[in-house]
Amino acid sequence: MDKHASFRNSTSPATAPSQQLSPQDWETLIEDFQCGIPSRRARWLPLSLLDLTFHSLLRKDFSPALKPQLLLFLEDSSDFLFRPSPSSSLPPLIDCLRSLLLTFPGESSLKEQAMVSTTSIAIAAVDSPSPHLVDPLAEILLSVANRPNHGPDRHTRSVACECLRELELAYPLLLSNAAGHLWSLAQAERTHAGQSYLLLLATSIASIARHGLLSSPSSILSTAVTLVPFNSPSAVLSPPPSLEPSDLNLRELRRVFAFLLEKPQSLTPCATMELVTVLTSIVGALERHMPAVAALLKVQFSGLLYCYDPILCHVVLMLYSRFSDSFTGDDTLGIARRLALIPKEAHQPLVFRLLAIHWLLGSPQLASKKGFLPSLAHYFYPTVFDPLSLKASKLDVLACVAAHTDRLHSEQVTTNQGEKKESYTTAVKLFHEGLACVSAFKWLPTWSTETSVVFRAFQKFLVGVSPHQGGVLTEADLDAVFNTAIFQTLQNTMVDLPLKHRGLVPVVSTFIDRLIGCKEHQIVGERLLQTLDAQLLPKLDKGILLASYFPMFERIGRNCRIPPHGLLELLTKHMLYLTEKHGPETGLRSWSQGSKVLDICRTMLVHHHSSRVFFGLSHLLSFASQFFPDLEVRDSARIYLRLLLCIPGKKMKTIVNFGGQLPGVSPSPHPASFYPQSPKKLLGISSYIHLERVVPPLVKKSWSLSLLNLEAMNNDTSYFEGIKDNSVPSTTPDSGGVLTIDKISLQGEPLRVMDSKVAETLRILRKHFGCIPDYHHMSGTKISIPCLLKLEAESFNQVWGSDLEDNLPALYATVITFKSTSKYGFIPACRVPFLLGAPSETGLEIIPAGGDIQEDSSFRTPLMVELEPQEPLPGLIDTELTANIENGQIISGSLQSITVGIEDMFLKACLPSDVEDDRVSRYYLDLFHALWEACGSAANIGRETFPLYGGKGAAAIYGTRSVKLLDVNSDFFISAVERYLAPFIVGVTGQALAKMVGSNPVIGNVIWGDDCVVFPEGESSALVPYSESAPLLLEYIQDEGDFLNTLETSKRILGTFLVLIFLPPRFHLLFQMEVGNVSTLVRIRTDYWPCLAYVDEYLESLIT
Amino acid sequence: MSGCSIRALWILNLQDSVVFSRRFPVVEKRWRLACQREGGFVRPLLPTEQELASAFAERKQREGSASGHGIRLSHSAQGSDSWIDDPITQHIIMLHIKREDEDEYMLWPLVLHVKGFFYILVLPLVEPQQHKSYERMCRRLDCGNIGRMEDGISSLLLNLPCITGACVVAHSLGDIITGELADPEVVSSSSPSVGGLLDSLTGSIGMSAISARAKPASTPVATSTTSSTSFVGAIMSDTPRNSSRPIDKDLLRTFISASMPFGTPLDLSLSNISVIKANGFSSTDPPPADLKQPAWKPYLYKGKQRIFFTIHEVVHAAMYDRDDILDAISISGQVNCRAELEGLPDVSLPLTGLKSANVEVLSFHFCAQVSEHGVDKKAFMFSPPLGNFVLIRYQASCSHNPPVKGFYQLSMVSEDEGAFLFKLRLMEGYKAPLSMELCTVIMPFPRRRIASFDGNPSIGTVAMTEHSVEWKIITSGRSITGKSVEATFPGTIKFFPLSSSKIPALRRMVIGSIVEEDSDVEQDDTFNMENTDEHLAKAMNKNLQAAELEEALCWQAYNYAKVSSECIAY
Repeated sequence: MDKHASFRNSTSPATAPSQQLSPQDWETLIEDFQCGIPSRRARWLPLSLLDLTFHSLLRKDFSPALKPQLLLFLEDSSDFLFRPSPSSSLPPLIDCLRSLLLTFPGESSLKEQAMVSTTSIAIAAVDSPSPHLVDPLAEILLSVANRPNHGPDRHTRSVACECLRELELAYPLLLSNAAGHLWSLAQAERTHAGQSYLLLLATSIASIARHGLLSSPSSILSTAVTLVPFNSPSAVLSPPPSLEPSDLNLRELRRVFAFLLEKPQSLTPCATMELVTVLTSIVGALERHMPAVAALLKVQFSGLLYCYDPILCHVVLMLYSRFSDSFTGDDTLGIARRLALIPKEAHQPLVFRLLAIHWLLGSPQLASKKGFLPSLAHYFYPTVFDPLSLKASKLDVLACVAAHTDRLHSEQVTTNQGEKKESYTTAVKLFHEGLACVSAFKWLPTWSTETSVVFRAFQKFLVGVSPHQGGVLTEADLDAVFNTAIFQTLQNTMVDLPLKHRGLVPVVSTFIDRLIGCKEHQIVGERLLQTLDAQLLPKLDKGILLASYFPMFERIGRNCRIPPHGLLELLTKHMLYLTEKHGPETGLRSWSQGSKVLDICRTMLVHHHSSRVFFGLSHLLSFASQFFPDLEVRDSARIYLRLLLCIPGKKMKTIVNFGGQLPGVSPSPHPASFYPQSPKKLLGISSYIHLERVVPPLVKKSWSLSLLNLEAMNNDTSYFEGIKDNSVPSTTPDSGGVLTIDKISLQGEPLRVMDSKVAETLRILRKHFGCIPDYHHMSGTKISIPCLLKLEAESFNQVWGSDLEDNLPALYATVITFKSTSKYGFIPACRVPFLLGAPSETGLEIIPAGGDIQEDSSFRTPLMVELEPQEPLPGLIDTELTANIENGQIISGSLQSITVGIEDMFLKACLPSDVEDDRVSRYYLDLFHALWEACGSAANIGRETFPLYGGKGAAAIYGTRSVKLLDVNSDFFISAVERYLAPFIVGVTGQALAKMVGSNPVIGNVIWGDDCVVFPEGESSALVPYSESAPLLLEYIQDEGDFLNTLETSKRILGTFLVLIFLPPRFHLLFQMEVGNVSTLVRIRTDYWPCLAYVDEYLESLIT
Repeated sequence: MSGCSIRALWILNLQDSVVFSRRFPVVEKRWRLACQREGGFVRPLLPTEQELASAFAERKQREGSASGHGIRLSHSAQGSDSWIDDPITQHIIMLHIKREDEDEYMLWPLVLHVKGFFYILVLPLVEPQQHKSYERMCRRLDCGNIGRMEDGISSLLLNLPCITGACVVAHSLGDIITGELADPEVVSSSSPSVGGLLDSLTGSIGMSAISARAKPASTPVATSTTSSTSFVGAIMSDTPRNSSRPIDKDLLRTFISASMPFGTPLDLSLSNISVIKANGFSSTDPPPADLKQPAWKPYLYKGKQRIFFTIHEVVHAAMYDRDDILDAISISGQVNCRAELEGLPDVSLPLTGLKSANVEVLSFHFCAQVSEHGVDKKAFMFSPPLGNFVLIRYQASCSHNPPVKGFYQLSMVSEDEGAFLFKLRLMEGYKAPLSMELCTVIMPFPRRRIASFDGNPSIGTVAMTEHSVEWKIITSGRSITGKSVEATFPGTIKFFPLSSSKIPALRRMVIGSIVEEDSDVEQDDTFNMENTDEHLAKAMNKNLQAAELEEALCWQAYNYAKVSSECIAY
């Protein structure tokens, strides 16, 4: 680049066109032309470059090192400089060449380059033979060449011959009149330049032979026409019609041919290849008239096979593939053997060793027709120091040989069992011994090149016995393939390998994928999977290591041709194992493996008929949903189980196959993108119409269990209404786990003895449940989420192109409908008669005077979204808006989804009407204790059921407990509790705490108690978990050290909050918060365990 | 049938920018005409230097490295070379040329030769049909073929001698830019000047072998035995020794203009070309009176007549010390020749005893004509060119022991500490006049840094580098002749602790106990104690780099020592 800069400073070509260019300028120019960027080239074009170049070339004082470069530059740029007008630009060039040849004695390399470049340019620039342009050049070259055995310029003469040869190739028959002269020149030349004379003669004769000049009555070798001055023969312009060659000329031709064949060893390897090419074309034209010539060629050239020069080997191969009839069986075997040996030559560059293998395989005669390959197989066993690519190629050959013998074996219908067996063992031997050096020694990791080479070889062996034929394999073909030794060995290998080396499972799976992905080998791949299912699965042991095989199970599960029971059985055992082995340190593992198992189950749901997997899968899922230690897995299992039980197969497949993702857990900040949108509707209205919650949920990054919205595919929104616990088909084998809660409520109540305390507890609970509406039979408890609807004027105008800048847009008769995949019941639509667009914040001039924009109700409409939750869990509500706009058009589309947090579910427990005002707090405290008791040790009241309001249903309490330690100081915690949980506090104990809170009017009517009254010391020991029916065990206390710690810290406890929260439709959440100075221990009990995970996050968010 | 013509060639540096290029307008015109005949299915275009460079960089990125995957991997893309699934596609590549405002087009076949700091790309002329059939092959949807198929890569390569020619051209260019001239050494430099040596045989056997030994029985898989040779060394230090010197463009230009003036190679011998360019011919070099001079011998020798031969052999040995695996020892040798003979004489030479020497492959210089093809006996005649040349190349399996034989064991006593033992016998069974001039053993530890080592060899000196220990058993001037020598070297070695993040860890085990637990939750193998072997193998190989396809093994995966030695006889 600095060159350019300096160049611009010194001289500018545009300003001084007539100026001569300095060597530096020339270098810049050449570089600019070479780089190929038109703009750099363009700045030189105003100069008359040709004149400048010729001038510089002929100057004696011009740098001699640069002159060849100038010539190369002309050659390289011939398309720009010469091609547009060859008739005006070529003659000066030829003149320049003539003067160069005459005036520069001694500088032979410059002369040679000038001849070459001029010839190149003439050929490249002139499309059709034009004698007036080419003749002068040919004449110059011929006069240079026409001095045989002249010593000093022998190399220049040979270059002239090469130039003439190129001219002859470009304009065939150009030298046809000179053939006689050329022959005598070639015969006479004794220096090393002889090669060029020979090639020139051969080329000229070849075009004579190919273009029918042999039929002329005069001799082709006649020297009647003088060489110089040169005139193109008329045949160049219009080749004569091809007629039978005359005898005279045939004889002449044979003489020339014999001369050309005389001493192949005197040519360089490259020239030998050229000569053989030319000779072959002559023979090709006259094969009928010269029957024995091919054999002659073979005799003269086949010895070159034993040279180490790859070009010469290829020359022999060219002859062989062209004239294979002239080669005897022994010759052919010799060629095949030589090709088999080249790859063994460690001196040869790798590429030639690889090429030799291709040559052998590429020739149909050598590779298949003559059947030499098996006898050469031993040359192709890879050795330890062969480069891996050579090993891979050698294995290709072995695969061919194995396929050859194997097909022989399977096609032999003869009864010769011995032979059959032998070819069988041969194929197997090739397979095993061939692979020994890459795999037998040691398996390197899956990503290693060695492993890739082995599996590539597996594929090649398989494709060898079942090559691609462009169609799908028929039954018979398949049978033949399955019967081959190779396939059977491969099958066994596929079973053995993963068994011994678990690490190879992914590679085996990819290998099978590759086959299944191929149209023709799909069934072969499936057969391998079936084998794995039948032979590998029974050998696998349950246990932690089973996880390595999941990729394979995934494939087996996906294949509907494989009966699923084997896999399901194994997976069920594995789930059982995980559950049994679950311990304090294996939480993550249980989650990870459990989820993966479920993933495989999902795959099976998608790919199999429900009826086929029903039994095994429902067994597995019901077990998992009931007993698996991980909450999330249990939850997902439950969802799958419900899907399996209640949704017809086809619909279910659409549900579970959504984008290949695991439905169930989705991160929810912007899950709207997760749901398919109806294309008919307007996308993007959510960019200017906003529906926001007044109070955002406390847990910012919440997650939720959600199923996809099928709205886009089907207008039936009530998919999930069919999934009711009560409508479980009775065929379900032990699927009770999921459904316990309501089922039990229908059972009879057993009689049992109870003490007075328990009786009191039961009384309180009966009373409480008696005022909870039974949502199955009547409308249940509702919750409301206040929201605000807002239209952004500016963005709206941008989208709709409204130019009414001073007019705010508005929505008329807006209807917002809600839908949710969570079980929130029917959500009534909201209607907004009129909504004015809110001006942008910067557009101050259109704010109504004196109005507070935040409060202005005409810009924001409050809405109340009412839910009737059937499960108190967070979720998302999809919203859809339909409205009229100013011009009467109706717009509709989805808005941002509304996030529902767990705290939206928090309600105060309902109060029976007969409780007096001054007893309210006592009632709540009693209720708290009763529920705390009931959710704690279920043994006492576990079988008890409580009729709900409405009288038809009843509920049972299945309690779960948990603890959470919040590391936060008391002040902060208390203020958070006051802010968020105040309405739910039913009791405060502890003097210190009471003092701190007492000053605060927020916590009103609660019972203030002593430490010991509410919270007996022994209670903490009751936290040691034992409960048959409570599956979730967050074993906080199990660690003894921690437990002691808790006791220790309890001494520093300021006091305790008791919090009672009602979760619609009929559940409860209880907190006992032991507030300490630096941390707070929250003991949690609930009769609805799925909420625990959310509660956990809620508490976290509470203190952050 | 066509010969070999080259449309263009480019030389790129490691930064993927073109440092040299040459196009041949005559060949390009032929391509253009052929495309017109075909009806314009293939673009008759050559890319500019810039387009080529960016296409090359793009391929490099797509295929992982300059030479590419070579075989089809799970992430191979349809339409790329690795889709063909053949290692040859590391050497014969296709580029996707993207031009502004135009669709991309393919450029094939480009012969790629990586030499030193340069990539050499040579584009030979093929038929448009052949070009198209390769493109089709790259897009086939099936799971991959063996090349044997009618329309497969193999038959394409067989019918394209131009590719072979282009490969040879690329190799010649590579030798020129790195300054490695192909002429072999005939008179060994390490041998003393041999005045009256005329008719004696000069033998030089460069030998190297490696021995290592498997661990005792219990864990045959974990440490396997390999051995390697100087050949290995050549591969491992594939990066050239000389620093990145700029290429000699003038030399290249001269060579190309003389060897393939129009794109069709005619003579690729740089020495002949340079001599002709430098000396030319004067009237004092009259053409021979009655003989025809071969093209490859532009000058005739005048002076004292003599002829030299040297034999140069490289031994590749893998010694396993296991009953179930045979040792593998092979020899690749060559007979170098320098014939200072007047005129154009034919020299005939019989070769006997080939069978007892286990000679498997014999190949000759192109000036030779083999007249007798026996199994044990061959006779041939050659008319020697000027200067040094390789007359014969051969490949043989070895019937007797290599000059260094022995035992190497490394056991780790803890994660970072190991004990090793060498027991070697040198020159066992080798009699005078063979003498061993040099012998060095290198223990490479490519994935560990050596902190210290302790131990004294019975003979020779030891030096340590960061990743290897080098034991010089015989240094120059202390050659051993006619006797066998035993050398032992027990010692211990300490490594710096593995820093798990940076250096790829090579974990070794102590029998029966686990070195380190894997913290990876996904791979909870540690639960199963029976499967220690597999666990260890996994742990050891965790950060292992995959080997390049042109290497023989992933050397890092094995414990081995490397022996290089030189034996000479006069």
